[in-house]
Order: sequence, then C-alpha cells, then structure tokens
Amino acid sequence: MLRTALASALLLLCAWATARWLTYDFQAWTDEGARRLEVALRPVAAPAVTVQGPGLDRASLSAVLQQGGVTIADFFYTRCQTVCLSLGSSFQQLQAGLQAEPNPGVRLLSISFDGAHDTPDALQDYAAKLGASPGLWRMVRVPDSAQQSLLLQSLGVVVVPNPPGDFEHNAALLVFDARGRVVRVFDLEERQLALNYARHLARTPSP
Amino acid sequence: MKTLPRLCQAACGWAQGHPWQAGAALLVLMAWPPARQWLEASMWRHMLLQFPLLMLGGVLLTAALPARGRAMVARWNAHGISGLVLTALVLAVLMVPRVLDLALLRPSVEIAKCLALLAAGAALRLSWGPAGRIVQGFFLGNVLPMMAVVGQLYIDSPLRLCNAYLLDDQVRLGQWLIACASAIALLWLAEVGWWAVRRENRPGTQP
Repeated sequence: MLRTALASALLLLCAWATARWLTYDFQAWTDEGARRLEVALRPVAAPAVTVQGPGLDRASLSAVLQQGGVTIADFFYTRCQTVCLSLGSSFQQLQAGLQAEPNPGVRLLSISFDGAHDTPDALQDYAAKLGASPGLWRMVRVPDSAQQSLLLQSLGVVVVPNPPGDFEHNAALLVFDARGRVVRVFDLEERQLALNYARHLARTPSP
Repeated sequence: MKTLPRLCQAACGWAQGHPWQAGAALLVLMAWPPARQWLEASMWRHMLLQFPLLMLGGVLLTAALPARGRAMVARWNAHGISGLVLTALVLAVLMVPRVLDLALLRPSVEIAKCLALLAAGAALRLSWGPAGRIVQGFFLGNVLPMMAVVGQLYIDSPLRLCNAYLLDDQVRLGQWLIACASAIALLWLAEVGWWAVRRENRPGTQP
C-alpha cells in the first residue's frame, strides 16, 4: 500500500508538472493563448519573405515594416465573407483613428494568406472598396507559396479550409515594433487597446 | 456484400486468440500516415476515436506482459489505485485544448500523447479488475464528470479553442463527450445493479 501511495503521488507530481508546462503556469489553455503569451515574452522577428502589393513591387517584409514605424497587421483573404469583413471594418476604424492625428507613427498592414488568388490588382480593388488610404494602410501578398507558409508558421497563424471554398483562421491584430518584430497579439475586439499600445510604442524609442 | 462482415468476424476471432499481436497491428495501422491524417483531420475524431483506439492498443498489448511483470506491477498497484490514477491524470491533461493543436504542430508532443494513451489503456486493463467497485466508482466519478464538463465548455465556447479545427467540429465533440460520459456511467451502473441483484438472489448469502 505504501508503494501504491508513493507511485500515485509521483504520478500526480508528473501530471502537475506537465500541465504546468502545457498551460504556461495555468495561464493559457489554448494554443492561441499560449502564442500570445509567447509573443509578449519573446518578440518574434518577421522571417525574410518578399511581399508585393499595390504600389509596392516586391520588397522584403522587414523593410516594409521598418519604414512604417510601428505597424498593426492582420492576415486576411479578399474572397472572405465572414471574419475578414469584420477585420476590414476593424481596420477602417483604426484608420479613422489614425487619420485624426497629424503624425501618428503607426501604420496598418493587411497581409493576404491567399497569395495565389490575391494578385496586386485584386488587392488594389479590395483596398479601394474598403477606402484604404495608401500612405496609412497597405495591402500585400506573399507571392511565393513556400515563403507564405513560412511566414504563417513563424507568426503562429493557422489557416484551416472551411468548405466550400472558405478559410478559417485565428484572426488577430499583430503589433510590430519599428524593428519589425511582433511584440503583442490582440483580439479583434481589442481594437482600441491595440491602437493605444501601438501609439505608446511609437512614442517610446525602442531600446 | 457479405465479405466485409465476414472479414470483420474473422479479424475479431483472430484478435481474441492473439491479443497483443492485434494491439500491435492496430498501432501500426494507426501510425500509417493516411490513417493518422484522417483521424486527426477533425477534432471529434482526434479526441473520441484516436484517443480510445490508442487506449485499446494499450489494453491489448498488456497480454504480452509475462506473469512476473504482472506481479511486479501489482506490488505497486494495490487495488488498482496507481493505475487508475495514471489513467485519470492522462485523460485530464489530454483534455486541455492546447494538446490537440500542439500534437499537430510538434512531433515530440504527438509521440508523448500516443505513449501516454497507450500507458493509460494498459494501466486501465491491469487495474480495473483489482480495483473493485468502490475504487471503480471513485475513478468514474472523477473522470466522467470531467468529460461532461469539458464537453459543455466545448459546446458553450463562442471561440474556437483549437486553431486547427472549426467551431462546428468543436461543438460536435462537446456533444459526443457528454453522450459518451453518460453512456459509460449508465453501463457501469447497470453492471453494478445486475451484480447486486444476482448477489441478493443467490441462495444462502446475506444481502
């Protein structure tokens, strides 16, 4: 009986340690929560990928991020009828907020994960439809599909096909600092928080 | 048309005579990439088909354990307590939604998950008999409500808890978790009731 008690106690300890590791000290129960915690603890640099969009003929993503100061980015695809529409309107409101101030130091970037379909022309049409102001809100795609997968993977974006013809993804607002690293991931609903955080980041010089 | 049932019958007959070989064959079949992908392509198949099948593999593999090994396990497993603790803990940890996502992303987590479920199945097989009805009831009284509560959480969550799976898949998993927990509880209660009735009716014994 003593051995059984010992074995059970040992098993409990192992399970507790595993659960603690799995949930970041019981803070994150989902992988999305863990991803956000990880980003906040250790900023993730954007990988070396080439992007392309209206008014932008193939540049590296980090160059695009660094010239814009602080960037709030999202992932989308133009054929989307569901969550991206709310992302679109979310970004429209962010843009309105930024337009209200003279020199915000914050820009918006929408990255398509449907690079095969979202050509620069398609992006141009979409940007026009949403009223994106070119100096403030840029739309790009990653033309190379291997690079696109690399980008999604390193930023923890998971795209699931949702038949017929749709995609589901963990839509969120990614805040990049001036050095092109993701420093925080916000919920779509936390738009104001993301904006305030980005403004704060733009005002404080990075160490 | 009659070939398939006959084939199944023959396979079951063979499996009864060769349990650990059947377990090994089951595990080889489940490690076969197309089978694994099919099982893990949906959230409910991942948790409610792959998990129990891996446990079944563990159950069948215990047949290969020689008598000396069984005696040694039994010394550390009075009344099957350590084994049932192991099974309950494995199931509890594996119900954290992050596990499903991580198992798809990281091979190390996938392997650990499979080994844990094999161990849980084997422990259940070696402990269920020695446990007796009180310990069994205690075990089920912990595991089944946990399954049902997790199921209800999966149904109620307005957000996707796993980045790799769709929301309707998550709801279906929740409903099936509750259904399975209820079915197992009813089966066990029926078995206990049946046993109690038979004991009362047996001549010459006190109720």
